[in-house]
Amino acid sequence: MSDLRLDATQLDRYSRHVIMDEIGPEGQKRLLEGSVLVVGAGGLGSPAIQYLAAAGIGRLGIVDDDVVERSNLQRQIVHGDADVGRPKVESAADYVTALNPDVDVEPHETRLTTANVAGLVDDYDVVLDASDNFATRYLLNDHCVLTETPLSHGAIYRFEGQITTFANDRSSADGDGSDDGADSSGRSGNGDSEPNESPCYRCLFPEAPEPGTVPDCATTGVLGVLPGTVGCIQATEVVKYLLGKGELLEGRLLMYDAMEMSFETVEYRSNPACPVCGEDPEIESVEDVAYEGTCEISAD
Amino acid sequence: MHVTVDVKGEDTHEVELEAANGRPTYADLLGEVDLSPHEVSVLVDGRPVPEDQPIESEHVTVLRLIKGG
Repeated sequence: MSDLRLDATQLDRYSRHVIMDEIGPEGQKRLLEGSVLVVGAGGLGSPAIQYLAAAGIGRLGIVDDDVVERSNLQRQIVHGDADVGRPKVESAADYVTALNPDVDVEPHETRLTTANVAGLVDDYDVVLDASDNFATRYLLNDHCVLTETPLSHGAIYRFEGQITTFANDRSSADGDGSDDGADSSGRSGNGDSEPNESPCYRCLFPEAPEPGTVPDCATTGVLGVLPGTVGCIQATEVVKYLLGKGELLEGRLLMYDAMEMSFETVEYRSNPACPVCGEDPEIESVEDVAYEGTCEISAD
Repeated sequence: MHVTVDVKGEDTHEVELEAANGRPTYADLLGEVDLSPHEVSVLVDGRPVPEDQPIESEHVTVLRLIKGG
């Protein structure tokens, strides 16, 4: 870690972090030196961007190719009425700049594709998936698996949310399975991890559903505050990862039901037959996949 | 055969399947609870099972695929 000292303004701004033993000045330095790419500046991306910026994430990338619409404002709270018609990445970047001058915000007004995913993702420590379509979700998953980039997953539907974290740390799979303490993020191991136990999105959902079979928010509606809860949990996971503290939602899908006000955790495991992280993966490059329809492996 | 189908976020179903025309599959099981294989993933012991595979477990977990963001 570089000799990054907190100045008086930063000690004041982050005092409620610094005072805690689990974070302290060293943890705050980790956040200030950290970098996160948020893919999607909509419902999930809005609260995630806000809290990551407030936490002092040093470099915050935002990917989105959409413009703000008035119907977004019921839940996409990083944008305001005056932003209608503006690119979402510009609006979100302005919010971040106004909130925290410590954050270098990097807006990328584009849609994630096989051609640009490496250039966008590979320069960040962690990726937060706040996208709203399966093509982007599967592309991000596959690229993050192949590059061992940690990925926070969140998705919403009407009154329900799903959150999990893919650490994508397969270093133990190549070794003897022993846990010698901490990974590159400083995260302490629990001592009982198994080889190959870093499941991915395709371990849960091997292929995307046929187009049109899963409804979206535009057709079914979504409770405006729902993505706030889910996006904040994703931001929590990212902050914990950068701090190297706590237990991530790895191998656990957290399901939130706003109507019942209940949370349930579903445990899942690495799938040996997973096409991207399994024992004999068919996907060795994102170029192997047509990220449309069911996001299956290309015939050619 | 008797199978408990735990649809996460929804109901848990107790399903009786006839094996008259060969062993029923997980797709058959989903049909019994009015779900399409396109919209869910069926997990056995934390791992997805192919929908066309014969049922080999008395308890399955069903997760709905959602995409909104």
